[in-house]
Amino acid sequence: MNLTRLAAVIAKEWAEITRDRLFLGLAFVVPPVLMLVFGLGMNLDVENIPFVIVDHDHTPQSREYAYRMIDSRYFDFKGYLNDEHQIPRLLSRGAVRAIVVIPDKFEEDLAAGHAVTVQTLMDGSFPLRANIARGYIGAINAYYTQELIAKRLTTAGFSQKQARQQMGNLRLEMRMLYNQSGKSIWSMAPKMVMMVLMMTPPLLTAVSLVREKERGSILNIYASTVTRGEFLLGKWLPYAGISMVNGVLLWALAVFYFQAPFKGSFGFYLLATFIYSFTTTGIGLLVSSFVKTQIAAVVMTMVVTLVPAILFSGMLFPLSSMGPQAQVIAYLAPAMHYARIIDGTFMKGVGLDKLWPSVLSLLLYAVVLFSLAYYFFTKRPQE
Amino acid sequence: MSGRFGEILQHMRVMTLKELLQFRRDVFLLIIVVYAFSADIYVAGSGIEMELKHAALTVADYDQSSASRDLIYSFREPQFKLQGMEMNADRAMDMLDSGKTMLYLEIPANFNKALLSGDPAQIQLLVDTSNSVLGSLATSYAAQIVAGYGVQRAMERLSVAGAMGGSMPMVNSAHRVWFNPNGLDRWFVPINEMLTMITMLSIMLPAAAMVREKERGTVEQLLVSPLTPLEIMLPKVFAMTMVILLGVTVTVYGVLGPIFHIPFRGNVFLFYTLTAIYVFSTAGFGLAISTVVNNLAQVGLMVIMLLSPMLMLSGTFVPPEAMPTVLGYLMLLSPLHHFIEIVMGILLKGVGLDVLWPSVLGMFLLGGAVFGFGTWRFRRQFG
Repeated sequence: MNLTRLAAVIAKEWAEITRDRLFLGLAFVVPPVLMLVFGLGMNLDVENIPFVIVDHDHTPQSREYAYRMIDSRYFDFKGYLNDEHQIPRLLSRGAVRAIVVIPDKFEEDLAAGHAVTVQTLMDGSFPLRANIARGYIGAINAYYTQELIAKRLTTAGFSQKQARQQMGNLRLEMRMLYNQSGKSIWSMAPKMVMMVLMMTPPLLTAVSLVREKERGSILNIYASTVTRGEFLLGKWLPYAGISMVNGVLLWALAVFYFQAPFKGSFGFYLLATFIYSFTTTGIGLLVSSFVKTQIAAVVMTMVVTLVPAILFSGMLFPLSSMGPQAQVIAYLAPAMHYARIIDGTFMKGVGLDKLWPSVLSLLLYAVVLFSLAYYFFTKRPQE
Repeated sequence: MSGRFGEILQHMRVMTLKELLQFRRDVFLLIIVVYAFSADIYVAGSGIEMELKHAALTVADYDQSSASRDLIYSFREPQFKLQGMEMNADRAMDMLDSGKTMLYLEIPANFNKALLSGDPAQIQLLVDTSNSVLGSLATSYAAQIVAGYGVQRAMERLSVAGAMGGSMPMVNSAHRVWFNPNGLDRWFVPINEMLTMITMLSIMLPAAAMVREKERGTVEQLLVSPLTPLEIMLPKVFAMTMVILLGVTVTVYGVLGPIFHIPFRGNVFLFYTLTAIYVFSTAGFGLAISTVVNNLAQVGLMVIMLLSPMLMLSGTFVPPEAMPTVLGYLMLLSPLHHFIEIVMGILLKGVGLDVLWPSVLGMFLLGGAVFGFGTWRFRRQFG
């Protein structure tokens, strides 16, 4: 490895980057823009679910029960529905996501001490939201039942306080760790850093090498004294650097704009992001070492980086819920390891002592990627 | 007049053939497109679920009674997985910090006694909510489990005491999930993944095909040929639309149907027609991009900047009602948003134009505008 030659390759690459104004601008503008859009739009709090009520009972009690749902901040009441034949149309159009059907004789049966069943029809197109909505409705019904029984107890001669004590004497104190507000943006904003850094840097690296192949300027490299390692490293370093700068920009956005809590050490974050940058751009390097056209490089990089970053990083889909096969993929993808680090530094305030396995995995990943790229890239292509 | 028309057709035919040939000869591109429409969708759909599963639960049971054990065992698989006992609070905190356990349940020593006498009994649950989706699912399930357990115990006690004379008023919940019974992510995720791939490729491929000509300089040859700008542009879109429709066929009949057992309830012809229109009009984005940029690196960045917000904010992960108002309206401007309704409607709900017409109209208008804009930019640049 000759440092002068390496410096020359880097200088050439850097000149190319800075002379392409649009490219340079995009390289630093796209990541923050993505972060802002996602941060504002990726609201995973399930609230304001649009729903309608079909009331077959039309009694004071059925209306009182209906108000339990209407008043809830989780649901957005769109009105009473009189014609049950409208249900398929409403659900198909996506205008409402749930329909609550209060049965006939609701008041009468409850007064007689019978159990009644309230049916909820739900749009399953968004499984997560359907599941959470089901939980909310279950909770509303459970509380209503408790109140009903407490009321019965008071009529049976208990004092009101006694009745409440009898009914609700098991209390659960829930402490939400690391994200007390339960707001999704607190946990999402840091992970956006992971995702955005996975989107653009690999692409830039991949294209920069293949472009030389496609334009033919690579022949200069083939004919020069620059070695494979120097050339690849010279391509790698500038883009890892760009990624690093973006990492700091995005960190600032997450902390100052989205107000996500950052409890860990900034030094450790920088170290982890440094390694992550080499890993992500390493993917681009590897792709570009064997692909021949830029289109193929762009599409391939997008498919192999975007999909694991969105699906297998644990950001949207919990890791523990994955099947064995998907877990293998998750562990193989660098995004998941960095997501762990991000979680640790931002929300939990833990450092290298607990997160070293993830840091080591990323490091190993970077080394393997570079070795593979070194193996595939040849100065004497057969053609 | 017919001579001119025949000439146009001839030009289109030849140019489309040229694009398809070029596509076929790029082996890596071919491989990655095939992968994107088959294995990628299989991988995404087979392991990914947005549901709480096997969430690790660690318990400190200071009571060691049958009641506390009953409560612990009501945290059941598949949502929860009992990981073991840990009486040492510091070590438990450590486990939470490093992500080895997600929930930590503390049951006090007087638990059983309190339940029997009807005195208030308090249990504490610590939940790692650094992943907000998991956190909210876990807390809502835990609350339901504990509430259910409390009601059940109270009822047992009351019926033993004979206070209610045997009858209890009660509101039960019954749920029916439409379109996607059991909230199957197995349906949701693969369809989503297919839409992602369609959108990505329908922007990327035509843009790349166009910019490649610019970059290599072959566009000069095309411009001095008797071809009009439209005759250069449209065949690229035609060719890529064909490729993508072929890919969709592979996905629908090779992966979605046989492997995931996703029903095809609607009209096949309608599905293909609307998909073709979607791909064709989305390609307009690609054309517009190709007029602004000069090389494929820029294409890649522009596509990412356009595509990722479209993918994440078009209602696949977050429905419109959960968006901030402005973004909610912006979402209506995304052709993908309308296309999702259409695909879900045709595949899962089996509805036709009579229900889907607002989405179809929306897609038509937007697609027309996008394609018109792309064409206008293109003609201005090359006309």
